[in-house]
Amino acid sequence: MTDNKLEKEQKVVKHLEETFQNLTGKVVRERRVTVAVEKELIPSVLSYAKNQLGYIHFSHMSCVDWIEDEHFELVYILWSPEDKVQLLIKTLINRENPEIDNVDMIWRQANTYEREIREMYGIQFKGLVGREEFILEDWEGMPPMRRDFDTAEYIKEAYFGRPGREDAGNVREEIVKRSGEEIPDFAKKYSRD
Amino acid sequence: MREKATTLYLGPQHPGITGNMMIKLKVEGDTVVKAETHVGYLHRGFEKLMERRNWLQSFTIVCRICVPEPDPNELNYSRAVEEIEGREVPERAQWIRTMMMELSRMATYLLWFGGQNGSAGLYTMPQWSVGDRDYILDLFEELTGGRVYHMYIWPGGVRRDLPEGFTDRVLQTMDYLEKRLKQYDELMFANTVFQKRAQGVGWIDPAKAIEWGVVGPPLRAAGFKSDVRIDDPYLKYDELDFEVPTQTSSDVWGRALVRRAEFEQSISMVRQCIEKMPKGEVYNKIPNPMKWTVPAGDAYVKAESARGEFGYYVVSDGSNKPRRVHVKGPAYVHGVTLLENLLVGANIADVSFIMNSLGTCPPEIER
Amino acid sequence: MAFFDIKGLVTPFTALKQFGKAPHTVTFPQKQKETAERYRGLHYNDLEKCIGCGNCSTICMNEAIDMIHVEGVEGGKGDSGLRPRVDNGRCCWCALCVEVCPTGSLNLTKDYIYVTPDADAFLWTPGVSNPDGKDDISFHSDVDTSLGMYNRVPMPELDGQERVKSFAEVMLYYSEEEARYEATRCISCGLCTEVCPDHMHIPEYINAIAQGNDEDAIRIIYDNNPLGELCGKVCTRRCEDVCAMQVRGDAVAIRWLKEYAVSRAETSDIIREIVNPEIKEPNGYKVGIIGAGPAGLTAGYYLALKGFDVTIYEANSHAGGMTMYGIPKYRLPIESLDKQIDYMKSIGVKIQFNTTVGKDITFDEIYKKHDAVFVGVGFQKPYRLGIEGEDAKGAFPAVNMLFDVNNGKTPDIGDKVVVIGGGNVAIDGARVSRRLGAEVTIMYRRRVQDMPADWEEIEGAEHEGVVIMPQTIPVEIITDDNNKVTGIKYLKAEMVDDGKGGRPRPVPIEGSETIMEVTSVIGAIGQEADYSFFTEEAMKQIEINRGRMVVDENQMTGMKGVFAGGDAVNRTADAISAIADGYRACKAIEKFLIKDIKD
Repeated sequence: MTDNKLEKEQKVVKHLEETFQNLTGKVVRERRVTVAVEKELIPSVLSYAKNQLGYIHFSHMSCVDWIEDEHFELVYILWSPEDKVQLLIKTLINRENPEIDNVDMIWRQANTYEREIREMYGIQFKGLVGREEFILEDWEGMPPMRRDFDTAEYIKEAYFGRPGREDAGNVREEIVKRSGEEIPDFAKKYSRD
Repeated sequence: MREKATTLYLGPQHPGITGNMMIKLKVEGDTVVKAETHVGYLHRGFEKLMERRNWLQSFTIVCRICVPEPDPNELNYSRAVEEIEGREVPERAQWIRTMMMELSRMATYLLWFGGQNGSAGLYTMPQWSVGDRDYILDLFEELTGGRVYHMYIWPGGVRRDLPEGFTDRVLQTMDYLEKRLKQYDELMFANTVFQKRAQGVGWIDPAKAIEWGVVGPPLRAAGFKSDVRIDDPYLKYDELDFEVPTQTSSDVWGRALVRRAEFEQSISMVRQCIEKMPKGEVYNKIPNPMKWTVPAGDAYVKAESARGEFGYYVVSDGSNKPRRVHVKGPAYVHGVTLLENLLVGANIADVSFIMNSLGTCPPEIER
Repeated sequence: MAFFDIKGLVTPFTALKQFGKAPHTVTFPQKQKETAERYRGLHYNDLEKCIGCGNCSTICMNEAIDMIHVEGVEGGKGDSGLRPRVDNGRCCWCALCVEVCPTGSLNLTKDYIYVTPDADAFLWTPGVSNPDGKDDISFHSDVDTSLGMYNRVPMPELDGQERVKSFAEVMLYYSEEEARYEATRCISCGLCTEVCPDHMHIPEYINAIAQGNDEDAIRIIYDNNPLGELCGKVCTRRCEDVCAMQVRGDAVAIRWLKEYAVSRAETSDIIREIVNPEIKEPNGYKVGIIGAGPAGLTAGYYLALKGFDVTIYEANSHAGGMTMYGIPKYRLPIESLDKQIDYMKSIGVKIQFNTTVGKDITFDEIYKKHDAVFVGVGFQKPYRLGIEGEDAKGAFPAVNMLFDVNNGKTPDIGDKVVVIGGGNVAIDGARVSRRLGAEVTIMYRRRVQDMPADWEEIEGAEHEGVVIMPQTIPVEIITDDNNKVTGIKYLKAEMVDDGKGGRPRPVPIEGSETIMEVTSVIGAIGQEADYSFFTEEAMKQIEINRGRMVVDENQMTGMKGVFAGGDAVNRTADAISAIADGYRACKAIEKFLIKDIKD
């Protein structure tokens, strides 16, 4: 058998690239394929993968906040029990007004994932039906998994610290006090925090 | 005559399951007509916490995501980081990890024996199985220093080598557990009361099982020979000789039989691991943890935990802290959409029974 | 099965046979289960071994560890004086603190029971709260399992036998990859900065190198050291002696990383571009500096940046002092020194060469012409050997030979040379003689381990074929009729304990005279300063104690407006101390002249 081990994976990429425009795919390694597509095509790609290519198992759905690039990245992870290949379908959503179509008519468990992403990132899934609260209760603030939600700040506002640790010292400062060293401001960012 | 519907809140404390989860049941008489899962009692925000801790510090958090079975978490996190970075793990470490995973599977099954029977009312089983689980926890204490949260498998290998005489004690424990299995059979599996309670209850339609996202023992009880250890092999499972048992009844009884059969397989796998383990290093050291960066990339890894397919999606942006670690436990699907559908038409007495047979573990639903 | 499944109803009752068996639980607290060897219990810290580096506090992912003052622990050289305290309410006993402790002082014990009715007593100081914990240690970390990087990246150098054929630089220095790797070893504790005489910002520039920002590293180095590459090549590196990593492994190569960073700027123009210092407007004050050695150059550089009009009077034709005329080129190439000095000249430091104070210009003139004076003349005069024949042809001090060689001359030393002395100057003289083609022997009165020279230099000399004769006392130089050296007579010595707990003394062994044939005798037993340039008036005010000028903590001598630093003042006599003196003097001169400067 001289054909390469990645035959199935390459076939999937080829299929998807030929069927959908503006879709780019890559075989990452054995049993892992990644494709990137525009968000409008997501429901079609997912249906196609499920019904035509055999990716009937919906493994996972995740979201990554690329705040510096001003978009969210949604990742749908599918598995084909027949070919034994994991397919990751990625798409980008604008951070200003994030919304995308709901896909829980294709897999009903996607409902839970979408509810959580809606709660944690504030992404609107058009047509999603489900209770607003999933994990958080009576939460009024910003969707907490976003990168601009500062947990340290939140803790200071919401909780009070137990007293007793005010005498904590800093090793570098202690040494600097004794030696009289003056660390310039532009160097301070390299000091240990 | 239709009875009036009442709303019952089952939980968050109730017999049998490990963790807190509330199910809002609408019942008519004692038949459930609607079920709604409410989670959120155990949300510790681990994924957000990991964004402010570096790669090594994050590894100490992941084991707490799933209380009954912390090891697949540590394993998946380490494997994902190793895959993104391209770090090699020494042979001996792979074997030790495999052995840990199987021991952990057995410990979880013992806890499950307790939970399943607790919700059925057969309280002798929990007394036995939780006590027997302690022998495995003793092994973990000797190997890693902690009984439940091991923090032992980290990126690059494992933390310490096996202590002197450890393999002898493991084999002794395996012999002991094999003997105990016979007693469990007599008490639980040959017990007609348990059989009658379990058969026909919580039936999942095999035709829809994969589409609904069922994984692990419930899927195997529906007749599918689906196991991450053979579908997407990791660690040393491709060098071990084991079977994946299946049943066709797809009900609570079938799932109990599947777990019982897997328990035996695990005992045999631990024995094989000890036999085949080579000598060598156990750790491929990372550089200074405060300065260790992982190149940009992402990885999705999965492991077969005692309850099913456990997945980790890890994204790195090239810095010394993880960008995103997203944990998907099997209970995410089993405990929410699947449960809500299965409970319709079930008897109130069977609610926690069914929940337990699916292997619901609330900490991993909400992390 | 049938509804009435008798077997299925009866079989479970076999469980009753457990009644006869003994329980497998333990009656706690009468009996206790044995705790595992590796159990992760409460912390124990060995307060003496602990150096207070704070690495445990940094790695703790729960922010549970604070570094606090503990009674009975004083900070000092190589010890910050702080010790860890654990907040048991937050600690999860993951033992990462144990894995990163560089000295191995922090460990976990088998003790896991902590019960108290006081809800605020959750703070636990390891070692203080459980002084007997050391008997109970369970989870510990040795050099193999610890996460510290204990092995230094080896430094490539030219082969010993090959390199004596030229004056090419011996050390090949780190490549970018090696430097970045070496820089990641540092745990940024800062213990090194305390013992550095100049208090360079070491963790900061090492972290800049680790992150790939070499230009920031250069700027940080130039904040208080304008001769960073010089130090990177020849410093005595006291910082490395207290590095946290050297307790159980190799110290971080602080010196070589400094060399790596500054050598990224290949010309003085590039240094100027990167450092881009702020040069203040001229403030009208003039400062005169005697001696363009490291002390004088440093003082001049920082004073010029602050807007002072600086003139340095240098007796020789080249700046650098002992670093130019005393350190051989295979340790410090002249191009490297020139690059650093050219940069300093480019920002406004004026150097008048070939100007000997006392001959070409008097001290009085300098004192009157300038508002402040800095004296950094160094120890230029070598000691006499004090044995017969030392004025013969072929017997001369090492300092003179090194001066000539660095000036481009090739002295005639013949083919068999003996060097007397055990310091860095002696080793320099010996290795230079090897490169001039001679067979070299070093005679030192005490043992090799007592030699004050850098061990790296001693090793380098041995690799190059220099023979070291310890416990050897020369007594006479043999000359021929033309008063040329032909041999040297020496005695062997034995080390005798001086009975007072000090160093053992060498006592000559009677009757052990031997004569060795040599063509040159090079003396290197120390130097002293030449204060003849001071006026009488100045000498009345400037106190000289044991050959060194006495200064207060602001580097000012007894004479108002006259500051001093360098070898002629401090006892450590290395380049970095001189640079530190120059830096301090600059600050002191600024305060002295510009009265309304705040602090």
